Amino acid sequence: MENRHLSLYELNSLVRETLEYELPDEYWVEAELSEAREVGGHCYMELIQKDEHSNTPVAKASAKCWRNTWMLIGPHFERITGQRLHAGMKVLLQVSAQFHENYGFSWIVSDIDPTYTVGDMARKRQEIIRQLKEEGVFDLQKELHIPMFAQHIAVISSANAAGYGDFCNQLANNDYGFQFYTQLFPAIMQGEQVEQSVIAALNQIYEIQAKKPSFDLVVIIRGGGATSDLSGFDTLALAENVANFPLPVITGIGHERDESILDMISCVRVKTPTAAAAFLIDNLAAVYERLENARTAIAHHVSRALDAEQQRLSVISGKIPMLFSVVKTRENARLDRLFTAFSSQMRERIAEARHRLLFIEERTKALDPALLLKRGYSITLHQGKVVRDPKQLKAGDEIETRVEKGTIKSRIEEI
Amino acid sequence: MKYEEAVRELESLVEKMGNGDIDIDVLAENLKKAQNLLKMCKDKLTKTEDEIQKLLANVQDSL
Repeated sequence: MENRHLSLYELNSLVRETLEYELPDEYWVEAELSEAREVGGHCYMELIQKDEHSNTPVAKASAKCWRNTWMLIGPHFERITGQRLHAGMKVLLQVSAQFHENYGFSWIVSDIDPTYTVGDMARKRQEIIRQLKEEGVFDLQKELHIPMFAQHIAVISSANAAGYGDFCNQLANNDYGFQFYTQLFPAIMQGEQVEQSVIAALNQIYEIQAKKPSFDLVVIIRGGGATSDLSGFDTLALAENVANFPLPVITGIGHERDESILDMISCVRVKTPTAAAAFLIDNLAAVYERLENARTAIAHHVSRALDAEQQRLSVISGKIPMLFSVVKTRENARLDRLFTAFSSQMRERIAEARHRLLFIEERTKALDPALLLKRGYSITLHQGKVVRDPKQLKAGDEIETRVEKGTIKSRIEEI
Repeated sequence: MKYEEAVRELESLVEKMGNGDIDIDVLAENLKKAQNLLKMCKDKLTKTEDEIQKLLANVQDSL
């Protein structure tokens, strides 16, 4: 070895040559991203490894992916995972060592395996689900019922999102003319701030509801469009918040593929904001139909009851003439009986009276003196008076003796 | 006079006649009275029947 000073360049070249010689290969490395950003088409990442239990970092490194590589693998990764690179994400990278005299050491990324990240995401999701179930909150929302007259709706969405506009339009212009009253609680619906933003919106709604019940349910919707970052909806904190929320929550976050954890937790899950509006309209329509059916049934039953009563009255009033006939007949018979009795009694009285007279007549007839004379008896008269006692007379008196056929005048010789 | 009153009077006439409480002099008079009462009662029955028919006809119309 020469005993001369090295220039920095020479020193660095030594490092570069050593590395080129000792670490020529590409390595697949698992790491967590603590930072990821795109600048000028290149992707710059900060990698970290944390101790499993204490979460303290045990290793760190920087990695870069140059634009011409990133242009290919970046979109592919995003398509498979449905997410962009962000802090906290676990990734599997293919890297090679690079040391440049002027720029120092860096790992150069040549490839990234999305399935590892997907696997990790799935694992994280399972973990969250397990924890929610353990806390007993996983099914809480499912126990809530969508109210019959769900018309006051708290909407969590982004004001600019097309989805929100569609949702409101559909509600406003529904075929039935139902009135809906929506209030928007704006939130950021993509990226890392989703959890915090949506939770804040939920808290706002809760506060209003606690002071004075104003809403029937909450709708969380997100416009369609590119399947961009939905990982923000897969967090434990957000899931717990929604699970414990006192109002039913409808989520329409726009997935075509798997459900996000929020979809699993919420009371009702729909695929799009339009579907959410349709759900609400159908709900009211069903209630309306029930009311219509009830109205018809009531009208029908009342009508039938009235008809039945009508019938009853008809029958009763129909009986009245007949019943009266019976009374009339009875009374007429009674009157006739009375009159007949009267007449016959009257006739009896007259007959009786006649009999009395007849009897008297007979008696009278029987007492006629002419009958006596006919039988040979005579009547003796003295000075016109009837003689019953001879002592009334003395010798020499003139008496008249009436016999049947005449009168004999005589003078008494002897009594 | 009311119907029941008239009938009761008729009944009492019959009873009196039965007991021999009526003199021959007033026999004719009482017969007349009885006939009047009888007519009155029968007329009342007929009139009532007609009225009932009329009323029922009204009710039927409005049903």
